Amino acid sequence: MISLLGRAVVLVALAACGVGTVTGVVAAVRRSDEALVFTQRMAYVFGLGMILAALLMEYALFARDFSVSYVAEVGSRSTPAWVTAVSLWSSLDGSILLWGAVLGACAIGLVETTRGRYPRHTAWSLAVLLGVGVFFSFLVAGVANPFSPVSPVPDDGPGPNPLLQNHILMVIHPPMLYLGYVGMTVPFAMGSAALLAGSLDAAWVRLLRRWMLLPWGFLTAGIVLGGWWSYEVLGWGGWWAWDPVENASFMPWLTATAFVHSAIVMERKEQLKGWTLSLVLASFLLTLLGTFMTRSGVFNSVHSFTQSPIGPVFLGFLAFATLFSVVLMAARVDALLPAADDGAGPSSREGAFVLNNALFTAFTFTVLVGTVYPLLNEALTDTQISVGAPYFDKLTAPIGAAIVFLMGVGPALPWGRSAPAESLRRLALPAGLGVATVAAGLAFGLRDPWPLATYGLCAFAFVVTVQQLVDPARARAAARGEPLGQALWRVAVQARRRYGGYVVHIGVLVIAVAHVTATAYQQKHAVTFTQGQAATVDGYTLTYLGSEWQEQPHRRSMVARFQVQSDGEELGVVEPRLNHYKSMGTPIGTPEVRTGLDEDLYLSLVNVDPVAGTASLEVLVQPLVWWLWFGGALMALGTVVAGWPSRARPAAPKGA
Amino acid sequence: MGLNWKVLLGGLALTAPLVAVLASGFGNSPQGVSNNLGGRPAPVFQMEVLGSGERVDLASLRGRVTVLNFWATWCQPCKIEHPHLLRAASSYGPRGVAFYGVLYSDDPANAARFLEREGHAFPVLHDPAQRVAIDYGVTGVPETFVIDKAGTIVYKHAGPIDLGTLSAVLEPLL
Repeated sequence: MISLLGRAVVLVALAACGVGTVTGVVAAVRRSDEALVFTQRMAYVFGLGMILAALLMEYALFARDFSVSYVAEVGSRSTPAWVTAVSLWSSLDGSILLWGAVLGACAIGLVETTRGRYPRHTAWSLAVLLGVGVFFSFLVAGVANPFSPVSPVPDDGPGPNPLLQNHILMVIHPPMLYLGYVGMTVPFAMGSAALLAGSLDAAWVRLLRRWMLLPWGFLTAGIVLGGWWSYEVLGWGGWWAWDPVENASFMPWLTATAFVHSAIVMERKEQLKGWTLSLVLASFLLTLLGTFMTRSGVFNSVHSFTQSPIGPVFLGFLAFATLFSVVLMAARVDALLPAADDGAGPSSREGAFVLNNALFTAFTFTVLVGTVYPLLNEALTDTQISVGAPYFDKLTAPIGAAIVFLMGVGPALPWGRSAPAESLRRLALPAGLGVATVAAGLAFGLRDPWPLATYGLCAFAFVVTVQQLVDPARARAAARGEPLGQALWRVAVQARRRYGGYVVHIGVLVIAVAHVTATAYQQKHAVTFTQGQAATVDGYTLTYLGSEWQEQPHRRSMVARFQVQSDGEELGVVEPRLNHYKSMGTPIGTPEVRTGLDEDLYLSLVNVDPVAGTASLEVLVQPLVWWLWFGGALMALGTVVAGWPSRARPAAPKGA
Repeated sequence: MGLNWKVLLGGLALTAPLVAVLASGFGNSPQGVSNNLGGRPAPVFQMEVLGSGERVDLASLRGRVTVLNFWATWCQPCKIEHPHLLRAASSYGPRGVAFYGVLYSDDPANAARFLEREGHAFPVLHDPAQRVAIDYGVTGVPETFVIDKAGTIVYKHAGPIDLGTLSAVLEPLL
């Protein structure tokens, strides 16, 4: 029953977006309001259909309707409710259903945010978005149909992948990334529409930028949560490994970040139009590449849970979308007449933004080359090798440092002209404090160049950012006699986008300092204990109390108990464990993490030998790890502040 | 309005190879052999043994078949091949084959921990700044070289090596 209904709803959605793509083109070419209204309705049918399909699948999962193929694949009578709910994205076919639903919501959102403005742009953007929708709903309806009927109906199912069941973060991390990936379709559609219509103005870019901030924010959250999950669950004590799938989510984030900055120039000066749009198109293509990497089985990664027939289909779509983008760009970029160059020099604000874009592009290429190189090597020489973290660390660290430096210099530079003397004066205090930070580091005995450089640059950029936040408020407080707090609030409310942006910058600086410190000053020790034995590692005294097997329905765990003391203070008993899943050969550890604001104690069980009565632990003491997650939260907060819809913006004139 | 050929050709030059590389990834098997350094004299080296500080000179290995394995702890395929190398060393070591690991772009402390955990059967050499790796044309890890008694590279293997492959190469040399 659900099989039939689900299939029918998906087919209706497929038909609606197919028809809508055509009528959208008609509406744009003939400038027909009737066709546009019809296209908007089709977008609604598509959106509601895809959302309904996902809800139907949720219903089937909760009803334990094993006659539906996807429920038979991942459902189980024994799973708790939250696992059942998230089973929708625990496997490939279901996650495509979720993508479809998110895309459907995007279609409806695009209709509503563009209603009554720019009819030609709107028509083109709906046509492109629904065109992408055709591909997704075709996947759901055909290649990866999760609604296939199963006969005979099984009594029970195996439940979702065990790795996904062992931490609550796994509930939020994947959908965040999906929202980021799928949400990138809207900027793509809007950017393509600007090219197709042959005009791009500040108002369309403003809307486009808001639509970009949404997936950008979700990508940020998804990436940070993914790092957190990796840290809490995987047991190697790190949060970022330059794994192909991590890189896949990072690359569109980089290009989207570049866009968010270049759009400011575009909006203000009507410059960099073609470049800004190519960043929009590239971000979408990179999300497709990311999806392909995750789902095709071509890349060797901890994330590749599935190998499936959608790989080639997806690659075909990626190739098509790439060709579409390149040809569209080539055909229409000359139609976007740029404003005359006003000769703003390299040390102007515009110059800083251009340099920012160059750096982010270089960063993207570095990551792309490192990610694809093993595959290229395999294609050419038929051998499999690993490029690995050292390549990425060496090449990206200088780019990252330059970006942080620019984060400090950029906001202090004036628009439209070079003013070296004035700029230098503005930067004197922050630069001085940056140098003082390095000196303080040296005085405290730090000698490693990268951490010192990071602290200096981050202090510099931090002071500039705080000045940017506080100075306007101080001016207002002085002019109106308001208390500083109130003035700060008023100014921030008026310039939400800028203030949100600076909060994001502070989040990035926090993450940079935490990441470099934790990586550079981590202490790793491998210790083997016999029962009852104690060992002191970096000020922590660990006593091995013993170990035991714990049986759970889906796994068997070897649990080792350790008592932890620090400076004579009792910190309690911790239980790192090794889990043996029925469906997997090698055991998966669950580390034990004691989080502090200053440092984390991270215990990972390596081996338990019951015969000899020994347990081997990997002990990591890493400073400032907590601040990585805090920095991520700041970035999310800043994004919400900057991107929150404002109440009433005067509507742009029709036909703009 | 015409096409902007610069944008078109530039865009295609940038994206087409990428798509082609991705397409080539389907159905590839991870095992592969490449022999392009075969028959050349092995570049000489002098490296320090991790942990002991003793120095190893390739010249002193003349007359022995030598297996040189470039690896790193951050490299996933290296973990796969590690047990194979341990077994190869335990069966061919007594028959006169010298096994050496060369740590590639990694911290010696990491390597010591890795070996403690995964097992240790032959000396690992330290190659600061990857000088020896450059001499041997190593493009990534793992890569394994087999050098015969006369000091000639007779075999190069990129990617994780397995016991069977190594036996097939070593047997005729002994």
